[in-house]
Amino acid sequence: MSLNPKSIYIIAKKEFSDNARSRWIISLILIFLVLTIVSSIMAGSGKIGNMEDTVGALLSIASMLVPVISIMLGYATISGEVESGALSIVLASPIKRLEVLLGKLLGLGSVMCFSILVGFGVSGLIIAVTTGHAQWGSYLLFVLLTMLLGLLYLSLAICFSAILKRRVVSLAAGVMIFFMGMIVGMVFMGAYMATGGSLNDFGGGDTSSFPDWFWVEPFFGPQDGYGTAAMLAFGQTDVLGFEFVLPPWLNIFTITLAQLIWTAVPLALACILFLKRDI
Amino acid sequence: MKEWLRNYGWMKMSDSSVVVETRNLTKKFRDVLAVDDLTMKVRKGEIYGFLGPNGAGKSTTIKMIMGLVRPTSGHVLVNGKTTNDHDVEYRRDIGFLPERISFYDNLTPVQTLNFFCELRGADKSIVPSLIKDVGLENAANRKVGTFSKGMVQLVGVAQAMIGDPSIFILDEPTGGLDARWVKVVRDKLKALNEKGSTIMFSSHILSEVQMLCDRVAVIDNGAMVVEDTIENISEHLHIRPRLWIQSSDLKGNLPGWIRNLDGVEDASVKDDTMLITCDPSLKLSVLNAIQEKGLKVQDFKTIDPSLEEAFVKLLRNKEDY
Repeated sequence: MSLNPKSIYIIAKKEFSDNARSRWIISLILIFLVLTIVSSIMAGSGKIGNMEDTVGALLSIASMLVPVISIMLGYATISGEVESGALSIVLASPIKRLEVLLGKLLGLGSVMCFSILVGFGVSGLIIAVTTGHAQWGSYLLFVLLTMLLGLLYLSLAICFSAILKRRVVSLAAGVMIFFMGMIVGMVFMGAYMATGGSLNDFGGGDTSSFPDWFWVEPFFGPQDGYGTAAMLAFGQTDVLGFEFVLPPWLNIFTITLAQLIWTAVPLALACILFLKRDI
Repeated sequence: MKEWLRNYGWMKMSDSSVVVETRNLTKKFRDVLAVDDLTMKVRKGEIYGFLGPNGAGKSTTIKMIMGLVRPTSGHVLVNGKTTNDHDVEYRRDIGFLPERISFYDNLTPVQTLNFFCELRGADKSIVPSLIKDVGLENAANRKVGTFSKGMVQLVGVAQAMIGDPSIFILDEPTGGLDARWVKVVRDKLKALNEKGSTIMFSSHILSEVQMLCDRVAVIDNGAMVVEDTIENISEHLHIRPRLWIQSSDLKGNLPGWIRNLDGVEDASVKDDTMLITCDPSLKLSVLNAIQEKGLKVQDFKTIDPSLEEAFVKLLRNKEDY
C-alpha cells in the first residue's frame, strides 16, 4: 500500500497548528523552561547549577511530566474524534487511514519534540551562559532521550486512542500505562526481595550482589529506562552518593533500542487495528 | 418481491448508468444483523431517496459505501469499480454528509473548510463562496464550537460541495435544520442535481423525499423492501389519488349510496369533509354524480398519493412482496 506524504503532512500540520493556536506549545515550552531553571537552582544550591547536576535534579520530575503530557496530547486524538463524529468526514475524504494515523503521530510528535527542544534548549543556553561551563554533548543526548520518551508515550496513547471505542476509556488506558511505568521498579524490587535479596543491599549501595535479571528493569519501565540512560549520558553512575556497577549490556544504546521497541510496537498495533475499525 | 422488481424496475437499465451500487451488502455487529444482503443501484443524474424507519440500517449502509464501516460480506461499487481500503481515490468524486455531523470546535468555518479543501486537494479560494452559499457569511470567523446544531449542519453541506463532486451521499441532510434552512438545503440539492450531479440521500421526512426524488429505496431491518419510482410503488400498492370533498350536508355521516357510484373504491367521512378513493379517470364523473344526488359541494380537491401512505403500507405488508 503506497502512502501519500502530502496527506500525512496535511494531518500533521493540522495537529501542530491546533496545538499552537490553543497555546499548548508555548505553555509546554514555558513549563520545561521553568522546570529546568528551578531544578538547576536547586542543584546549584541557590545559584544556577551545571548541566549534569541540573539534569540529575530534573530527571525524576521530567520522567513523570513528559509521559503525562504525551498521554494528554494523544489519548483522544482518534477515539475522541470518532465519538464526536469529526473523524468520519476526514476518513470519507480521499485519504488512507494509515495516513491519518501517521499524520497524527507526526503532528503531535512535533508538538512534543519542538516544545522539548526549545524549552530545554533555551534553559541549556541559560545554564551555559550563566555558569560559563557546558557539557553540550551529554545535554543534547539528554534532550534527545526526553524526546524519545515523549514519542514513546505518545505512541502508546495514540494506540489506545485508535483501538478503544470511547474517549474516556482511552484516557483510562493512558492512566493505567502511566502507573504501570511507575511501579515496574517496585515490582522488580519486590521480586528481588522475594528471592532472598535485602533492602540493605540497595540502601548500602552494594550493588555487586544484585542478580543480572534485576538490571533488566530499565527495559521494562520506560520512565526508569529514560532516567538511567540520561544518567549514563553524563557518565553518572552514582545515585544518592552510591556507586552503581551496571552490567555492560545495560547502556544508552540498549536502553534506546528498548525505547524504540516500546514506541514501534504500539504503533504497529494501532495501525493494524485502526484499519479494521468501524467508525 | 423479486419478480415484481424485475417487472417494474431497475433491472432493465443498462449498468453504465449506475454510479453507486451495492451488491449483497451485509453487516453484522456481533449478533445484530444491521444490513442484510442489500442490493441497490443509484443511477447517474437522479435524486435517490433512501428510506426506512429508525434503525433500519440506512446509516450503516451509507457508512459502508464511504468505507467507514467494513462490510461483513458483499461489495460496494462506485462508478463501476469495486471499492477497497487501498484505493481511496473514488471518494474524491463523492460529497459526503454524515448523519451525526461534527467538526473541530476550535476552528472557524473558514479554517474548517480550508482543512477539508487541503484533504480533498481542492483550491481553497472557493471557501468564501461555499460559506456564502449556505448563508454562514456572518459567522465565518466564529468558532464552530459556538454554533447551533443547524449551523454545523450547514458547514457540513458546504464541506460536501468541496471539489465539485459528481455524486452526493447525504445522511439526513435536513435533519436538525429549521424550516428556513431546510429550504436552502433543498434548493441547493435541486440546483446540484440540475447541474448533473447524482444525489443519494436518506431522510425520514417523506414529503421532502416525495418532492425531490426520482426513485426511492425503502429498507427495513437492513433488508430491501422496494426500490422504484414513487409512482410505480404507489400504483403497485393500489394507492390511488383521492377526492377531497367539503359539504355542510354531510355532518359526519357518509351517505350510503356513495360507495355504489361507478369507480368509487373507498370512502370515509369526518365532520363536513369526505375522502373518496376512486379510479383517477372517473374523478369528474364521481363528482358530478355526487352533485346530481343533491349533495351541496362547497369545495373539492384531489389529493395525490403520498409517499407516507406508501411507506406505512409497505412496512406493514412487506411480507406480501
